Amino acid sequence: MKLGGIKSVDNAHDDSVWAVTWAPATATRPPLLLTGSLDETVRLWKSDDLILERTNTGHCLGVASVAAHPLGSIAASSSLDSFVRVFDVDSNATIATLEAPPSEVWQMRFDPKGAILAVAGGGSASINLWNTSTWELVATLSIPRVEGPKPSDKSASKKFVLSVAWSPDGKRLACGSMDGTISVFDAQRNKFLHHLEGHFMPVRSLVYSPYDPRLLFSASDDGNVHMYDAEGKALVGTMSGHASWVLCVDVSPDGAAIATGSSDRTVRLWDLNMRASVQTMSNHTDQVWGVAFRPPGGNDVRSGRLASVSDDKSISLYDYS
Amino acid sequence: MLGREFWSEEDLSPLTMASETHTDEQDLFRRLQDSSDDASLHFDIGLLLWNKQQEEKAAQHFILSAKLNPKNGESFKYLGHYYRLVSLDTQRALKCYQRAVTINPDDFDSGEPLCDLLDQQGKDTLEVAVCLEASQISPRAFWAFRRLGFLLVHQKKWSEAVQSLQHAIRGYPTCADLWEALGLAYQRLGRFTAAVKSYGRAIELDNKMVFALVESGNISLTLGQFKKGVEQFQQALEILPDCVPAQFGLALGLLSLANDCINLGAYQWGASLLEEASEVARESACSFRNISCIWKLHADIQLAYARCNPWIEEVQQLESNKEAFSASINSWRKTCFLAAGRAKFSYQRALHLSPWQANIYSDIAVTSDLITSLSRNYKQDLSARRQLAEKMSIGALLLEGHNYEFWVALGCLSDHNELNQHALIRGLQLNVSLAVAWGYLGKLYLKVDEKQLARQVFDRARSIDPGLALPWASMSAESYVSKESAPDEAFESCSRAVQIMPLAEFQIGLTKLALLSGHLASSQVFGAIQQAVQHSPHYPESHNLHGLVCEAQKDYKSAATFYRLARHAVSIGSESNQNSHIRDISINLARSLSKAGKAADALQECENLKKEGPLDEEGLQVYAFSLWQHGEYDLALSVAGSLASNLSSMKKASVASSICFISRLVYFICGLDAVISSIIKMPKELFQSSKVSFVMSAINALDGQNRLGLVVSSTRHFLKYQEEISRMQFLIALGKLVKNGSDCLDIRSGIAYLRKALHMFPNCNLMRNLLGYLLLFSEELNNGHVATRCCNMDNPDMSNQEGLKSAYDIHGAGAVACYSTGNNNPKFTFPTCAKKSSSHPRAIKSLQKCIHQKPWNHDARYLLVLNYLQKAREQRFPQHLCRTLNRLIQAALSNELYYKTELDYQYRHFQLLLCASEISLQCGNHTSCITDAKKASQLVLPDNYLFFAHLQLCRLYAMKDDHLNFQKEYARCLELRTDSHIGWICLKLMECQYKLEIDSNAIDSSFEECIKRDGNSWNMWMAVYNLVRGVNLLQKRDLVSAEEFVAHACSLAGFESCLFLCHGAICMELVRQHNSPHFLSRAIKSLTKVHELSLIPVPFASILLAQAEGSLGSKERWDRTLRLEWYNWSQEMRPAEVYFQMHLLARQLNVGLSFKSSTESSQSPHRWVIRAIHMNPSCMRYWRVLQKLME
Repeated sequence: MKLGGIKSVDNAHDDSVWAVTWAPATATRPPLLLTGSLDETVRLWKSDDLILERTNTGHCLGVASVAAHPLGSIAASSSLDSFVRVFDVDSNATIATLEAPPSEVWQMRFDPKGAILAVAGGGSASINLWNTSTWELVATLSIPRVEGPKPSDKSASKKFVLSVAWSPDGKRLACGSMDGTISVFDAQRNKFLHHLEGHFMPVRSLVYSPYDPRLLFSASDDGNVHMYDAEGKALVGTMSGHASWVLCVDVSPDGAAIATGSSDRTVRLWDLNMRASVQTMSNHTDQVWGVAFRPPGGNDVRSGRLASVSDDKSISLYDYS
Repeated sequence: MLGREFWSEEDLSPLTMASETHTDEQDLFRRLQDSSDDASLHFDIGLLLWNKQQEEKAAQHFILSAKLNPKNGESFKYLGHYYRLVSLDTQRALKCYQRAVTINPDDFDSGEPLCDLLDQQGKDTLEVAVCLEASQISPRAFWAFRRLGFLLVHQKKWSEAVQSLQHAIRGYPTCADLWEALGLAYQRLGRFTAAVKSYGRAIELDNKMVFALVESGNISLTLGQFKKGVEQFQQALEILPDCVPAQFGLALGLLSLANDCINLGAYQWGASLLEEASEVARESACSFRNISCIWKLHADIQLAYARCNPWIEEVQQLESNKEAFSASINSWRKTCFLAAGRAKFSYQRALHLSPWQANIYSDIAVTSDLITSLSRNYKQDLSARRQLAEKMSIGALLLEGHNYEFWVALGCLSDHNELNQHALIRGLQLNVSLAVAWGYLGKLYLKVDEKQLARQVFDRARSIDPGLALPWASMSAESYVSKESAPDEAFESCSRAVQIMPLAEFQIGLTKLALLSGHLASSQVFGAIQQAVQHSPHYPESHNLHGLVCEAQKDYKSAATFYRLARHAVSIGSESNQNSHIRDISINLARSLSKAGKAADALQECENLKKEGPLDEEGLQVYAFSLWQHGEYDLALSVAGSLASNLSSMKKASVASSICFISRLVYFICGLDAVISSIIKMPKELFQSSKVSFVMSAINALDGQNRLGLVVSSTRHFLKYQEEISRMQFLIALGKLVKNGSDCLDIRSGIAYLRKALHMFPNCNLMRNLLGYLLLFSEELNNGHVATRCCNMDNPDMSNQEGLKSAYDIHGAGAVACYSTGNNNPKFTFPTCAKKSSSHPRAIKSLQKCIHQKPWNHDARYLLVLNYLQKAREQRFPQHLCRTLNRLIQAALSNELYYKTELDYQYRHFQLLLCASEISLQCGNHTSCITDAKKASQLVLPDNYLFFAHLQLCRLYAMKDDHLNFQKEYARCLELRTDSHIGWICLKLMECQYKLEIDSNAIDSSFEECIKRDGNSWNMWMAVYNLVRGVNLLQKRDLVSAEEFVAHACSLAGFESCLFLCHGAICMELVRQHNSPHFLSRAIKSLTKVHELSLIPVPFASILLAQAEGSLGSKERWDRTLRLEWYNWSQEMRPAEVYFQMHLLARQLNVGLSFKSSTESSQSPHRWVIRAIHMNPSCMRYWRVLQKLME
């Protein structure tokens, strides 16, 4: 497996690019790349030439996360002031605006069926689940406090939830916190199951393997990528090599590789069979905040694509084969 | 003659024939009478009769037809049918069919029965020959190809079969059997992908193809795609629940999948898969009890389960309960033991069924070895069990003496070193590249202390197979024992071993090495030790090391839990040197308890330890520390004293840490003087370490008399690394701040020192940030800009240093520290602070970046609110900014952090409330504005700050014309007083704006008192104050005195263009009112100054100057200066008056015939006026001029 650079857009945004995702293909168009940035906009790009399709404005602070519905028609973007804007990808019509207290919205993900939007609740130490047809809050999954009755301390801010991930079967929901713990929930019964331990610094990105609903990958500030058996509470692999925080992780559609982005300004490709880094891309000149593999579908199914975004305001697109 | 009898009407009547056929038949017989030797006619009649099931008669016709026309295969075919089905004369049938096939090789109907007959008689070769012949004659004889294909498959001639089958498939593309057979042929040829495809096609055509499913499952297992294989077997079992091969395959697939999981370390996952597999295998074995390989598989599964079953418990519950822990260990052990027992039984069944299979002997040997290691009374029946293992492996060898693997097994399982060596060497003789054997041989040599040999052997093993874990592990163990190489190297090799094979022993070894090489906090070690605990919960070392790893990750609470478990494990176990282990573990426990803040528990532990014997230096430190935590200072000191008395006998590394500990403890308990005197008493040669140097310097920094000066300077020689030295400089700078002994910090000398130090260490971000912080702290004019410039934002520090200011903080604070509003976007306002230029919007972005990186960072959020407020103010509080800001503030206010009583948090709370109040004020919501301000005024803060809450209330009441309350708040302000100049200035401004008749001298004197405190900016503040006074007088229409004040201000701050502009404007007004040329010259002087001083063009200055110069009669100058005014304004902000002025200039041009092409000449005067009117239609003057121009 290998990555080959295809295209890079410098100054794709006016400031740091923080979030990236692919809106899957629909009947009328190929997949689109969505990026969110500190310049308060979300931009849509046509692959492979990365032609700017549209710029969505409307957020008052930097855009921290973007998420796309599995059908490709809807997407959501959230900013630091905790407004989530849900919009139609093709027309940019606002479908809903979800509001939470600032600092209580971080990463977002749609569930594999697209019925629920899970929003990492930041300082509220919980995940909020929104129904995607009525756009009402259906549940709040709170992480139980491990510390007993100790209300003082900064314990409230310790469990700041940064990241969220759905298992491919939609039954499990995992979230990563600032203190390094990962919490696993039963998404059907809205119940907390257990913690996964091993990281001791913030976990900024999580992703489940597309094939195995037990395998979970996590990226943390401690510089490691962990592979967990999320049901058995076991740490089954660690991949180290980044020189600084690992900010993002995504798993390839074939489940054989993961890509990570880091504060050391590189994007790495890891072979899961060898559990080793097989390639390092160092074309970014600042920390890489997001990596995203293109989901399968559309006309050119065979060619895999990976996009990465960085603080250096640029977007890079690679061929994955 | 022949057909007469058939021709009666009665016979025909029961047949349901159409009347047309009737006539056909009649017609046929009529024609037969005409030409009785027409072969085709006979055939037709035969066919007719055949169809009417009058076979005998039909046969007669067919015979005639065949005789008459021996080339007609069809008649032979029917004859064949007749002989086969009716007269049962096989020989004749065969001959007829053969004839038919020779005539027409494509004839499926005769070929198939021919082959069936041959098949029945067992004449395979003949059958093949027939098919071969047919297939060679005609490529369209698909039946022959098909038959041939099946026959070849049956004969295991795979490659020929493939060809025939491929050909046959062209004729019968939807025949699932053909695809299945093709798949089988491919599979046997080893072409697995092709086989999978063929099987897949067969399953597609017919989803009940169990064989194809099972075989594709087998292929998947061979290819290592266990998951896929399992799915296929499951599918097969759905169709045919009793299918043994499918059951076997499923169990095998699950076992392989489980093995994969176990190799990753996912034991629980593996165990759950094994349970599933075992269920399948057991069911299968029980229903077909006589299949050896199923029993063996079941045993394999059970053996794997016995090995991988993890110990997983809620440790918190076991922590305090030794019995529960012991019970849990026992039940875990029992589960494993039972599984191993089941494995042994199943192996025996398998062996019983097929005793010739040598490998089962060796499997039993391995199992009994495992049972031995799991059994509780390990020591007692060791020898007996060992013997069993040995015997069984010898049994395997007796059957297959040439199998090297059995030799290796014997080599591992036997109890006698000599036999082991012999067996391994025999194995190697049989296969010299057997890495495993080399590895075990090496292990054996290590055991008997033949290090040289062992190393050679291991090297060989590693060079043959670098993917073998054992040599790596041994190498690391060896290098650890011999201490030849760095611990890092040993750690690396061991980590490789663990990666290859997650054995508990390797994992524990890895953790031990991590402890030595300082990798304890790495997540690889964490994963390894967690897995080790799951596999050897009875082993105290694993719990102890787990605790150490948790401690390294700063999770002291769980560390304590694991230490307790380790202690339980020791007391359960039967090892001889129990006490020393318990002691070590207890010290660990006490240490982590005290770190977790549970002083009482830690103390209890220490006292228990002390009862059993004297504590070592670490124990003493922990003891003293927990005593101190618990508040028993005297005891702590006495323990520290005993620690100090041991100093001379300690190792160098522990001396340094002990000295540091003692000094700090004494400082915290007895204070500065005691610690200094005790340090002076200590022998100086003990201070040879950088660590000590830091502690000494810190203590000396607190001491105003510099009593430790000598000691400190001597210890500083031991600082070696650049980073250490720069940190020491940082410490010295901090020392400068507190050195003078008074209450307030000596910021000036701190800044001076840092400036010098930074010159030496330009890369030290720590110092840069401190300098920035101090500069901001000093509240000097312009220092804010210097502060932001000295902090480096390009390489923000990722480390989480609590309590230290980061570059983000400095930038954020610096941006709000500047009093003057203004940004680089002249759309909103005219920037007055030249130095600031563009730092402000950058600060907002950099703060957002900071929040994005550390969203829990409340400092950054707070600063963002302040910066945003600043931005909103610049833009005159637009709606959308106010809304965002309001949300940010409300969220910040709801944070529980701000309800803490510390001054710092209270102050921020106060600021946020004032911000909220200001925003409500700007949005017109007076009620909430007042509530917020009142809330702010009720916080517990120094008067100095509270002043501003009341100031805000003053503003509010003044705006609402609520005089009574205003007076009250105003009085409260005067009463509270503040150190902040700006506060007094605001109050002063308010006083005149709302025309209060109050004794303003109170403010004047307070202000003067306030600015006396800092010398440097006295001039500036006085100038501002004078300006305010001047403005106040302006309000009262006392222009002359106002001019005096402002002139005074100008003389005090001769660099501020705004002051001069103000002065110039006042002078011009005086000129207008009093017509005194004296003021005119003053005005010109001031306004020219404005030009010189301001970096950015200041509006109004030019127009006023032009007026002044015009009044003096200098037309040229008037002209030139007025033109300048046009450019002083940005396009969005140009007022109507400027357009009007341009009309004057344009008119001038019309009259004066200037040829210069300039802005004013671009349009006619009359258009200029129209534009002015468009800008401001309410000004009658413009209309009048327009009217004049129109005339």
